[in-house]
Amino acid sequence: MATVVYPYVGIPLPPNDPYPQGTTAYRPLVVATIKTFNGESIRWLVLPDSGADACLFPLALAIILKIDVLNLPKSITSGVGNGANLTYYDRVFIDLGNGIAFTSFVGFTQGMDKVGLGLLGQAGFFEYYNVEFMYSKRTFTIKTI
Amino acid sequence: MATATVDLSDILKGVPSGAWVAISEMQHRVVAYGVDPQAVLKESRKEGEEYPLIVRVPDQNSAMFL
Repeated sequence: MATVVYPYVGIPLPPNDPYPQGTTAYRPLVVATIKTFNGESIRWLVLPDSGADACLFPLALAIILKIDVLNLPKSITSGVGNGANLTYYDRVFIDLGNGIAFTSFVGFTQGMDKVGLGLLGQAGFFEYYNVEFMYSKRTFTIKTI
Repeated sequence: MATATVDLSDILKGVPSGAWVAISEMQHRVVAYGVDPQAVLKESRKEGEEYPLIVRVPDQNSAMFL
């Protein structure tokens, strides 16, 4: 059983009309080590997202990890960027540190490339862990179920 | 476990919007950045930073709804 408190991460956002000086968005992000079963690994920011049905990552990450996406099962994902995004699924190992580590069947889609983050969704993450968000303290807690 | 808010604003200062960035394992400096994440990782490893954190700088100031 593991219970880990993580800090929110401040992400700089460029200037626009309502925020001419730019602003900082504080997001519940974790530095994850993503490992494949072919021995490749990378450190990537992930965000627990209870609105996501499953875990979802940028297609760019699959390419970096040398995953042969064309031989993977695929489906259409909606709600990210364009209305429909071709999404390729594979099993990866995700380590958030401090004993929070799991294997998950995740999707890779070009629709996430613009965001650049990985999403930890209901299937493959929230089925294993409870998450408590405390934005006022800029911390969140991940606890093994 | 004690925590403190992590803010990447200072680290990413000067990096163009939309760029992919390799941040050193200790997360104190940008090792490489560019438009191609594979090239950024390759450049980082060439600089001796084998396991950088790869992030993408937002390219527009819009609220993120996922």
